[in-house]
Amino acid sequence: MTVQPSDASFAGATRYVLDEELAQIVNISMSLEMPLLLKGEPGTGKTMLAHAIAESLNMPLIVLNVKSSMKLVEALYQYDTLTRLNDSRFGDSRRDVSSIEAYIKMGKIGQAFTADQRTVLLIDEIDKADTDFQDDMLDVLDQMEFDIIEIDKTMSARHRPVIIITSNAKKDLSDPFLGRCNFHHIAFPDPKMMRKIIGVHFPDIHDDLVDNAIAAFYHMRELEAVEKRPATRELINWIRALNADPDFKPKRLTKGDVPFLGVLFKKSGDYERASAFVNRRKMF
Amino acid sequence: MFLSFFYKLKEMGVPVSPTAFLTLHRALANRLISSLDQFYTASRTILVKSERYFDIFDQVFAHHFQGSELPDVEGLAIDEMARALLEQWLKDPKAMADALGMDEDQLNRMTPEELIAYFKERLKDQDGRHDGGSKWIGTGGTSPVGHSGIHPGGMRVGGVSRNKSAVKVALERRYKDYSLSGPLTQAMVGEALKRLRNLLPAGPRDQLNIHESIYRTMKNGGEIEIAFDRRMKDRLKVILAIDNGGWSMDPYVSVVQTLFDYARAQFKEVKTFFFHNTIYDTVWLDAARYRKPVRMAELSRMDPETRLIVVGDASMAPYELMSRDGSIYVQGRSGQPSIECLRMLVHTFPHSVWLNPVSAAMWNYTRTIMMIRQIFPMFELSLDGLEKAVQHLMAA
Repeated sequence: MTVQPSDASFAGATRYVLDEELAQIVNISMSLEMPLLLKGEPGTGKTMLAHAIAESLNMPLIVLNVKSSMKLVEALYQYDTLTRLNDSRFGDSRRDVSSIEAYIKMGKIGQAFTADQRTVLLIDEIDKADTDFQDDMLDVLDQMEFDIIEIDKTMSARHRPVIIITSNAKKDLSDPFLGRCNFHHIAFPDPKMMRKIIGVHFPDIHDDLVDNAIAAFYHMRELEAVEKRPATRELINWIRALNADPDFKPKRLTKGDVPFLGVLFKKSGDYERASAFVNRRKMF
Repeated sequence: MFLSFFYKLKEMGVPVSPTAFLTLHRALANRLISSLDQFYTASRTILVKSERYFDIFDQVFAHHFQGSELPDVEGLAIDEMARALLEQWLKDPKAMADALGMDEDQLNRMTPEELIAYFKERLKDQDGRHDGGSKWIGTGGTSPVGHSGIHPGGMRVGGVSRNKSAVKVALERRYKDYSLSGPLTQAMVGEALKRLRNLLPAGPRDQLNIHESIYRTMKNGGEIEIAFDRRMKDRLKVILAIDNGGWSMDPYVSVVQTLFDYARAQFKEVKTFFFHNTIYDTVWLDAARYRKPVRMAELSRMDPETRLIVVGDASMAPYELMSRDGSIYVQGRSGQPSIECLRMLVHTFPHSVWLNPVSAAMWNYTRTIMMIRQIFPMFELSLDGLEKAVQHLMAA
């Protein structure tokens, strides 16, 4: 691409199949400088999208994996008291013990703010944290600055990062949070789209295998009362496994013989249900 | 610009905010949007914040920009019934005349439109479910309009099965909204399990948290501060009592069982009992409620720390709950009204909840739900309700 990074627009990446609608949404969010909230079933490529944006726009990617116990300040910066105590005791480092600033380490959001160039900041699985975390974080992202209390200093973003937020929750996030984001829901890809996605990952795989595997996969997905339904990631691993097995013949799938169920269903309850389902099919 | 589009969205129930609308205009002013297709994508991503409203958004968009019809929710249900009525009329004008309480001549003078108008009039007068009686539409009454009544002309409307009254079908569209927060389905099992995971006991704060202690001590500049965590006590026992009698509970029984099957490993033990409508002297271990009865007295000997979760719609005739021999099964009559049994259960198990698949908004319309609510803390059998129920069960 020859365009400047500042007004570059997103057009897909080597390992990501992008639909036009999503590309437009990403571009609008980037030019409006608003975070983009992505929802959808696990395995629909929410996280991959951020990787793809970073790759195609040539920006560094910073990933903040949200955990349930996480506090906002951890995502912003950390005051490394342990090192400072150590330095003051033994005094064998070049850091200045009397300056607290030398012991402030940037968290993921802090890194995105202080980076030399515009970055892509992926905030993954925001729904894991509590509502306070979510609202406070949006304040920071809205103002593009935060205070470091220990040294009484305000950090402002040098470049406004491209912010992608993902959520798996079926429950909605709080209203003030939603008000500050753009929203998109990534639907589970239909078999045609899935065919393309598989094509990107396995450029020279046998058509016969892919068609049968995809058909069997969508059939297995219809299974009800399953804790975690298999998604794109599982399908890709499954095809990899099928492909690696020299004894495997794609014809067997149509007859209801499904090997490597454990790749698709990872919870033991789900696995039992799935194998019962498969065996039933074999009988008829 | 697009003001009417914005208000139409609001009117149709999409929660749109003025701020988002202004953002959309910012996008327009920045020339980010140059075609209708782009406007569609942009306005949806900016205005609509949940996929649940995507469908309504699509309808409003098509209506606004292409002039397509917006579905008339109320009209649709009634028209369906009117069509069935008309068919009935064509098939058997005499029975129809009887049914509507007029003679055949009178009926023949009416145009189809007049007939339907008459029918709708009656339907709209009624604003609740109705059983028995002699005028309104419902089930089992003598009113001419409705079904399975004793009136010879009682007709079935809209091809309804015996289990659902005509009115229920007519009103079904109105419940559509509730389904957003509504009852648990098999597809939601994974999400519901996450709520259930919080059903863990908490012990006293007497376990040393070394990492936190070191961190706090460092923060204090070396002054030692010790942090304690809660200790996990033994895992919980759970009693699940499920109302599996009657069609109204059928869709939920398997969902609840699947849910607790998956969660089984998390508890010390899960016991499942069955009952119909309400609990008298006995509950059953088998779903047919026939082979393995368990007397109330045996239940009361169980560990009082056990969490009791009752799943049922709590909807029945008041006498089933209040009368001494209220059970609809003769052998189930124990001389003690069911409501006393329920009180005793709550007394035995201080940590108990009642999960009800009926939407909370409708609870005040059923007498027995109101009565049972006074005894059991009642929660909706939905994701939100489950979360609150777990909170309640874990509260000291």
